[in-house]
Amino acid sequence: MSRAQVLDVVGTLARLGLAAVWLISGGIKAADADQTYVAVDAYDVLSKSGVEVVAAILPFLEIALGLLLLVGIGTRLVVAASILLLLVFVAGVAQAWARGLLIDCGCFGGGGAVAPGATQYVQEILRDTGFLALAAWLVVRPSTLFSLDARLSVGRT
Amino acid sequence: MGGAARNDKQRRQAEAQARLRAAGISVPQKKKSSTPLIVVVVVLVVAVLIGGFVLYARNRSTTPAAAVSPSYTTTASGAVVTAGKGKAVIDVYEDFLCPNCERFEARDGAAITAALNAGTLTVRYHAIAILDRNTTPVGYSTRAANAALCAAAANVFPAYHAALFAQQPAEGSAGLTDQQLAALAPAGTSADFATCVTSGRNAAAVTAETQKAVSDPNLQTQGQFGTPTVAANGTKVNLNDSNWLKAITG
Repeated sequence: MSRAQVLDVVGTLARLGLAAVWLISGGIKAADADQTYVAVDAYDVLSKSGVEVVAAILPFLEIALGLLLLVGIGTRLVVAASILLLLVFVAGVAQAWARGLLIDCGCFGGGGAVAPGATQYVQEILRDTGFLALAAWLVVRPSTLFSLDARLSVGRT
Repeated sequence: MGGAARNDKQRRQAEAQARLRAAGISVPQKKKSSTPLIVVVVVLVVAVLIGGFVLYARNRSTTPAAAVSPSYTTTASGAVVTAGKGKAVIDVYEDFLCPNCERFEARDGAAITAALNAGTLTVRYHAIAILDRNTTPVGYSTRAANAALCAAAANVFPAYHAALFAQQPAEGSAGLTDQQLAALAPAGTSADFATCVTSGRNAAAVTAETQKAVSDPNLQTQGQFGTPTVAANGTKVNLNDSNWLKAITG
């Protein structure tokens, strides 16, 4: 196995991993719209109507990113969008932490207020950082196996 | 591949290109396809549209909202307030601090009130306190549930129930004081109401009702009791089905 092939395999795992993250988190959020509303509301950043809009669109945006990564089309672009969204999440958790709010991030369902001492801001940010690392790999080296990108470039010189 | 090796490779490629050009041979350049960009943009736009449609559909089904004013009567027994006289009966379990309960009332409250007014529905409101720990000082859930039962005794439950959700404090806050809870009642409410609120007359009944609800397996999802919970004929109703109330009242 050549070095490029090994790197392709690593990239493929990163791509499919990130796809799974988006599909699962988006799917859970889409299935329980009220819980998603409560989770977004708990960050205490947006107005009521802003929370409505974000809570309605976010699940489907995550699912879309997951599907695009799954088939592997426009990988670098989709990953760049993923990084943007992840940074927004990290910023949301960080501001909640800094302001002393007592909330669950609602990253994979759940969300809303939690009891004092039950917050997990460090774990939540570390988890997002892990996802950002997967994304960073793919931005630098978006070439992966089983991707539409690879198929589309076949036959081109 | 190290940076130096990469640079070296690029330099050699450039030199090869230059030699080919010099020899009059044109090499077709790798063209970037715009297909992926278009696909990505289309999929993301579709996702946003789906979200927008979901939002629109949910909001449209709840527009009759605030307009419905309650005209039904209530009776109270223990920590259960029975509203309306309809044939279809549902049990509603709410904690007045629970944000999802506020969402539930905002979306389905008007339709429930309309059905109660029309006499097609009976609602047994169970005053539940499972979020006492989520205020500082603790205990807002029990104090609010107690106040709601005081309101039922004073015959102002429908308006007071609505006011508790309209003025719902955030989780993690101090909640409303007993004085603020007493002041939420409509003007002309009996003087006994304020005494009932401040003395916590129904607190023990709320605790008992909460324990009963939490330990009822028919009200649990995956072994957990949460609020809001609506039950009809002893089984839990799926509130994510926007037709749940119509299915019950017919």
